[in-house]
Amino acid sequence: MISTVVLATGLTLILIGIWGMLTHRNILRIVIGFSLAGTGTHIVMVALGYVAGGTAPIIDRSLGAAEASSRVVDPIPSALAVTAIVIGLAVTAIMLAFAIRLYEAKKTLSIDAFTESKW
Amino acid sequence: MAELIGGLLVLAGAVFHLSAGLGILRMPDAYTRMQAGTKASTLGNTLVVGGIGFLHPDWTLKLLLVIYFVLMTNPISSHALARAAHRIQVPMSRRTTVDALRQAREQSRDGT
Amino acid sequence: MIRRLAIVLVLALFGLVFASLTVHHVERHSLPPLGKRYVELVPQELGAANVITGILLTYRAFDTLGEIAVLFMVAAAVGLVLGRRERRDLPRDAPQPPRPASEIVRTGAQILVPLIAIFAAYIIANGHLSAGGGFQGGAVFASSAVLLLLAAPSRQLDQQLLSSTESTAGVLFVLVGVAGTIFASGFLDNRLLPLGQFGSLFSAGAMPVLSVLLGVKVGCELSVIIDRFRS
Repeated sequence: MISTVVLATGLTLILIGIWGMLTHRNILRIVIGFSLAGTGTHIVMVALGYVAGGTAPIIDRSLGAAEASSRVVDPIPSALAVTAIVIGLAVTAIMLAFAIRLYEAKKTLSIDAFTESKW
Repeated sequence: MAELIGGLLVLAGAVFHLSAGLGILRMPDAYTRMQAGTKASTLGNTLVVGGIGFLHPDWTLKLLLVIYFVLMTNPISSHALARAAHRIQVPMSRRTTVDALRQAREQSRDGT
Repeated sequence: MIRRLAIVLVLALFGLVFASLTVHHVERHSLPPLGKRYVELVPQELGAANVITGILLTYRAFDTLGEIAVLFMVAAAVGLVLGRRERRDLPRDAPQPPRPASEIVRTGAQILVPLIAIFAAYIIANGHLSAGGGFQGGAVFASSAVLLLLAAPSRQLDQQLLSSTESTAGVLFVLVGVAGTIFASGFLDNRLLPLGQFGSLFSAGAMPVLSVLLGVKVGCELSVIIDRFRS
């Protein structure tokens, strides 16, 4: 039940992000839409690793090492999500750098100004 | 009993967060949106973390540090944002009648 | 008109796929076999309390190395794209000296920058014990650098020093990995250093060292990226 709700939230975020990317004409809003879709994907990844009634895979006073394997959630999607968040940040940084250059070239933030073909 | 108080505080915090979101949607211009977002969400944060403090009493010290941190950073960041927005002359809503920052700047420039 | 129709069609199709994914999703009741193996192996073999950091820094450490490479590439690319700007083409008015930050921001930064830096160090050092790790701590450290830049806009970050620190941290990471090949049983194996007592700060072999190197590298990198955006 919990993981279905979280999964639905993540998928809704991806949908909103894609809608934002397709609809807006302002470059910065397109970048925000991309970042939203990325966040939604991370949520989906973590939600798929949920085990019913499980807790975080950290062994401390309340979770002994012997009983850990029956009470924790899957650690692998969480590890992949850490990597994915960092790479999403890096891609957003590059997109913003490009947005700055595009603004300096045409003095406007609307992508309708870039209509000439490259060839 | 402590759980009831904790639950009520968390619920109140969630209501304040909802009002922050509503405020950002409905307010006319950038400055009022910033004000709605910051004030309501800072209070919502404080209430939610306070509620968690009632639900888990042994985390109280750490949660107090978190509240202190939120109270320090949220207002400062929104202050910096609002001053930057005023600097690049983001348009105000037509219903605004007093611009205290511009008056203060003009006064200090004319050397009152 | 056609554009709007196409957008609605694309969104509807995506929505259909996502809805069917949600409806047919069945929650797991037990760990998959690989996850079970990792959860059992990490406390025994590596001596780390945080299973996720154990996976990220030993079993899947090659992915972490690849991610370091990606971050480095992005820092270089941002430097390239935002680098030498031909100021002749852009008619700019006389460059204004950066206005000093307001007093509230300056005072707040005096209190907050050391606090955030200590918090970043705490997160990095706790990577193998509780939730935390190199990447998270590095990002928090970069946010303290942002606060510093906001409070003192005329301050120039020493980009040369930051870049060389970051490259040194990356090289040391790979060297620790190679030393793992020589002295222990594989590349980036953390049994290079003694495993220590489970749950204490200096346990889990080379993992604290790797976390610190990661944190330093990521923090410097993100600070350099943000500084390039500023200038």
